[in-house]
Amino acid sequence: MSDTKLNVLIVCGSLRKNSYNAALARTLPALAPPGLAIKPAPAWREIPVYDHDLQESAGFPAAVVAWADAIRAADGVIIVSPEYNWSIPGGLKNAIDWVSRMKDVPFKEKPVALQSCATGPLGGSRMQYHLRQVLTSIDAFLYGKPEVIVHLAAQKFDEKTLELTDRTTLDIVKLQLAGFDKFIRRYHAKS
Amino acid sequence: MANAALNIVAICGSLRKDSYNRIVMNALPGLAPEGMRIVEAPPFSDFPLYNADAQNTTGFPPAVTALGDAVRAADGVIIVTAEYNFGIPGGLKNALDWLSRVPNQPFAGKPIALQSASPGPLGGGRVQYDLRRAFVFLDALVLNKPEIFIGNCTQRIDDKTGQITDEPTRGFIKQQLSAFAKFIAAHGGKV
Repeated sequence: MSDTKLNVLIVCGSLRKNSYNAALARTLPALAPPGLAIKPAPAWREIPVYDHDLQESAGFPAAVVAWADAIRAADGVIIVSPEYNWSIPGGLKNAIDWVSRMKDVPFKEKPVALQSCATGPLGGSRMQYHLRQVLTSIDAFLYGKPEVIVHLAAQKFDEKTLELTDRTTLDIVKLQLAGFDKFIRRYHAKS
Repeated sequence: MANAALNIVAICGSLRKDSYNRIVMNALPGLAPEGMRIVEAPPFSDFPLYNADAQNTTGFPPAVTALGDAVRAADGVIIVTAEYNFGIPGGLKNALDWLSRVPNQPFAGKPIALQSASPGPLGGGRVQYDLRRAFVFLDALVLNKPEIFIGNCTQRIDDKTGQITDEPTRGFIKQQLSAFAKFIAAHGGKV
């Protein structure tokens, strides 16, 4: 079981090009333990604002289906997101709202780990605790510790290249990914 | 002063036509104290998902400016929202995310009242506390009491006739709207 390759998806909660969270997401494949393959999930940016009438008349948009299918097929999901107004970015939450309406909700019993970067001192932690609440409602299997809450992000990424240079942060991300790998395998072994 | 003309805008967190929360919102003018005028705010359904790159290149979409202007001009805002996945509907949160970036941020110092209807027993008990958290960051003035949580709403609201059929619920809403009028008189006005 420990020789099997695990496939994990990254969902990034920010759309902007120079996002710290996107930069953190880019570091993950190289920091992952052997046996944990990490790649980005399909985009959520084209998903329309959730409207039940739209769901009833036109069905689930193609972008929603693609996102859901990828998550459903993955062994785990890592959500790397900024905090907007002390909570979850609306765009990311909107994608979750859509897939929560499917018959086979892709997050159900899915191992999920959370990460966030912020320039301020709380590192996106308010968002993470809200996201835990939301993911609980759709029965995801949430990974605990270590948490990856990257505060004062401007000091931790190279100004020009956005490479993550802070040693402590790199170490804790590595630790979380190794822990997430074990978490998923333990869950697979039991189910 | 108690009957001063108040112009309130209402924002519904659900887009669907037959939404219970929409029925509640539509009932508000009939339950408002004398002098309180309530109209629906411009819609957020066509807001693109928030992207700082878009904001910095093409600026604020006209729909965002329209809603921002309406909120800024109003004496108060009433938000009537469903709860999606134990949290704020992504579309509504996305609207707040855009508005939070508008210069002369429209929610700063703005009196807000919250209401929610849900078929479940908590009546939106999670979403309103999540909204309060976002509104702390947005520096709004959220009315504390009375709270309006319409649980088991299918028994209290008829979505065929579009009426709140439960008399106690109508009574509670009346009380909140009166309290909101007093709150605005005491705390509202130009920031």
